[in-house]
Amino acid sequence: MDNLTIAGTERSPHVDFDFVEGRLSLKGESYPEDASAVFGPIFAALERFLATAGTRQVQVDFDLTYFNSSSAKALMNMFQLLDRAAAAGTPVAVSWFYSPDDDTMKEFGEDFSEDLEHVAFALVAVESAA
Amino acid sequence: MLAKYYRSFKHDLDQRGIIFSFSGYLSEEILYSLGNALRHKMTLEDANVNTVKKVFSVFVEQAQNIIRYSAEKLAGDVGKTVELSSGMVTIGTENNRFFIVCANVVLAADEPKLRERLERLRAMDKDAIKAYYKEQLREAPEEQSRGATIGLIEIARRATDPIEFDFDRIDPESFFFCMKVSI
Repeated sequence: MDNLTIAGTERSPHVDFDFVEGRLSLKGESYPEDASAVFGPIFAALERFLATAGTRQVQVDFDLTYFNSSSAKALMNMFQLLDRAAAAGTPVAVSWFYSPDDDTMKEFGEDFSEDLEHVAFALVAVESAA
Repeated sequence: MLAKYYRSFKHDLDQRGIIFSFSGYLSEEILYSLGNALRHKMTLEDANVNTVKKVFSVFVEQAQNIIRYSAEKLAGDVGKTVELSSGMVTIGTENNRFFIVCANVVLAADEPKLRERLERLRAMDKDAIKAYYKEQLREAPEEQSRGATIGLIEIARRATDPIEFDFDRIDPESFFFCMKVSI
């Protein structure tokens, strides 16, 4: 499978999916006109990857500075998919990056993590978050 | 006369504390540009980073609600398919707070449901709003709705006080709908 790279735009995040390393990262802001058009391809690639991941370590990095409510919904779908894969035996680690003075992104990280039972979730404060 | 007229118009806006007000056909490009101008202006004036985020978030949700749900739309082909939605977004300050007002025409048939959603949010405290947000994140989208409920909850979550709203009847088929949020 070729790696998936989607260049970020003014209103959608930069996406890097390295299938060899088992690492997916989303970086930037997300408030597109149509969240499903942006997140659909990422979700589909993740679903295909997890279907054959077995016991390989999977790392997902979220380095987002703002997203709207329809993107939040799409992110929740991704977390549910990741948690199901982790429950089925694939080790999944998620890092949620946020700027230390950004209460909103920190709270979103906490909110998402509350729903995860099997994913190893890390909230990471970074001064230089995008 | 021309300068006098528009100076008085601008003065009236300034007196009301308005930072900017957009009235007309909104598009995602306009949303992006206005949103950036808003963030830059607030940041230059040393607004708290979390306040900037809250105001921006309410602005985006309100503008996207207009783009998606305004009953006044123009659609057609100009080399590509475009859909423009009419409405109004106004941002300003009063009593040391930011306010964001949006307004658009809604169909009379859609008014009861929108009113019910907003009444429900008004009756909730911050913890209840947060719990409701999480519940809606997990749910499948409602029929006929590209995420209206979750957008309104996001607005309520960022608002300092309960959302103010009102409907003014235009004719038997439509209302002028207005919402005001303070941060």
